[in-house]
Amino acid sequence: MIYDKDKLPIEIRNLPDEDFALVASDNIKDEKLHTKPIGFYKDALVRLSKNRVTMFSFGVIVLVILLALIVPSLTGYTYTEQNVSRKNLPPKIQGLEKLGIADGTRLLVNRKKDSLTDANRYPEGSVIEITREFDANGVAMVDVVIDYYKYSNVPDGTYYWLGTDYLGRDLCTRLFWGARISLLIAFFSVILNVIIGVIYGSIAGYYGGNVDYVLTHFAEILDGLPYIVVTILFMILLGSGMLSIILALTVTGWIGTSRLIRAQFYRFKGREYVLAARTLGVPDRQLIFRHILPNTIGPLITRAMIAIPGAIFSESFLAYIGLGIKPPSPSIGVLLSNGQSVLLQYPYQTIAPAVLISVLMISFNLFANGLRDALDPTRRGEE
Amino acid sequence: MAELKPPILEVKNLSQHFTTGRGKKRLAVKAVDDVSFEVYTQETFGLVGESGCGKTTTGRTIIRLYDPTAGQVLFDGWDISRPMNKKLRRFLSDNIAMIFQDPIESLNPRMTIEEIVGEGLFVRGEQDKAKVRKLVYETLDLVGLTQEHATRYPHEFSGGQRQRVGIARAIIVKPKLIIADEPVSALDVSIQAQVINLLNDLKQELGLTILFVAHNLSVVKYFSDRIGVMYYGKMVEIANAADLYENPLHPYTRALLSAIPEPNPRYSISGNRVDYDPARDHDYSAEQPSMREVLPNHFVYCSQGEYERFKLKVSL
Repeated sequence: MIYDKDKLPIEIRNLPDEDFALVASDNIKDEKLHTKPIGFYKDALVRLSKNRVTMFSFGVIVLVILLALIVPSLTGYTYTEQNVSRKNLPPKIQGLEKLGIADGTRLLVNRKKDSLTDANRYPEGSVIEITREFDANGVAMVDVVIDYYKYSNVPDGTYYWLGTDYLGRDLCTRLFWGARISLLIAFFSVILNVIIGVIYGSIAGYYGGNVDYVLTHFAEILDGLPYIVVTILFMILLGSGMLSIILALTVTGWIGTSRLIRAQFYRFKGREYVLAARTLGVPDRQLIFRHILPNTIGPLITRAMIAIPGAIFSESFLAYIGLGIKPPSPSIGVLLSNGQSVLLQYPYQTIAPAVLISVLMISFNLFANGLRDALDPTRRGEE
Repeated sequence: MAELKPPILEVKNLSQHFTTGRGKKRLAVKAVDDVSFEVYTQETFGLVGESGCGKTTTGRTIIRLYDPTAGQVLFDGWDISRPMNKKLRRFLSDNIAMIFQDPIESLNPRMTIEEIVGEGLFVRGEQDKAKVRKLVYETLDLVGLTQEHATRYPHEFSGGQRQRVGIARAIIVKPKLIIADEPVSALDVSIQAQVINLLNDLKQELGLTILFVAHNLSVVKYFSDRIGVMYYGKMVEIANAADLYENPLHPYTRALLSAIPEPNPRYSISGNRVDYDPARDHDYSAEQPSMREVLPNHFVYCSQGEYERFKLKVSL
């Protein structure tokens, strides 16, 4: 016996064994659970839908995507349609024009007062209001608000919702067509990055050791390449276009994903349930895809969602420095690049794409945050 | 008696060293160092020792989660320490199963109980889903869970229930040997009894052999037929359970047993604790220690001088 009876207090020393009985019966039989079973993804969805900010940003993303699909066919213009006589028209929207916003007017400053009467330059009804009259070296000058549509001899009933650019192309069509292209580039480059990163990171993380050593260092070297140079090389090789931009964003873009996946593999491959599966004889491939990879889904989706605005931004940056897609195709970056050269004269040409890219990036980031919270298994069951 | 049956598992001079760093920084940790023991058919062999003494590593090396550095492991006469291939993995997974310590960690949170328990069968090439389901239900029933639990995810269960799922996963492939790696140390005391009794019942019912790794000495005594005591990667004493608790010979075993709490405050105050200091308790400068049989089936890791002292002591 471990317990020496003689050492026990006298009053309990001589209790007969018959006085003792087992409290619990030998057979264990558990009761049914009375709640409904809930799977991991369903649970994540429930928590996701409870997060208002996430749902709102998701709504915004869906809205932008829908607009990008619908708007180009609603405006009645195509993104290539040029009309030099209608260049740089300010925004004009049905309904809003009566409220004084987006009514197609523009303030022209420092005009000779005499010229206002010249019907060739200022057609009938184009002058709306003279805001300032002054004298410059004996010449009567005015600042004048004009109806730029009438001023440019555009027939009544013509509307450019976001105005036109320096070639008279409808900016609204171009903006949403550009959003379409930017989103496509972003989605494809992110999908490519995720596929390459997951495979590469899984192999490096699962096998570890020398395999990991070689793969990680190769990625480090690749990461050291300046990606502008890589992009330019791709442009030379494939010509400027969507494909070369997607490839340029992929060359180094997957490295971050592979690092994430590798870290996740290091974290999970030593878990007891992975060991348990190994002792059952589960082959490597199944261990990677069934036991370890599903645990990385949360961080992976989050990362991909954050990478999308990153890719849009990179694309815009490339377009901005002149490495964008082939004209006349627009992208948000191309529009920003064109707009900034006339920023002071025609600010609306920059504002619209800038607002759109900001909204997209904020929405994607907020949505990614919400997704991360929802997919985090440690936060399961929280209301 | 268990002793009469042939050994199902023979571990001969098993070593498991872990190395870190390269070149001059290379550092080897001798987690398991020259350990030998035998486990007989249908017995429960308890492996005890303090944290970090290598008992878990021994279990994991036997089932080949690690590749042994040296030594040999024979299962049913088959060498299972040779280089890994598909055939050996299959043989191992057919015959040896493992129960893990942490019931939360050891179940994949993304899989249902049915998927977890049935996985071993699918890995074995079983195609018939209905058949697997039926077997899963039967096994769940055996460990006291209901069919309805099969569609649930691990997080919906209590610790004891999860551990029983772990047991179901181990026994569904009908192994001969189960390596139970501290299966109850993460559970509270009332649930420990439940799980231990379940293991005991299953052992009788299915004719299992169990290698029971634990550091809770009371549980080990209750559960094991024979016990091996490990200290710093070495096996220091192997004996029948009752024998070991009555006649602990190695100073480390004595220290370990003196640490068992007794439900008696006077006992604790009286200072019966023995502490163990290898530098003080052994003098191995003259002769090297080795495993010696002091009593029948009672082996102690000692030098010749110590051996004679132990002999004298047990004959008194």
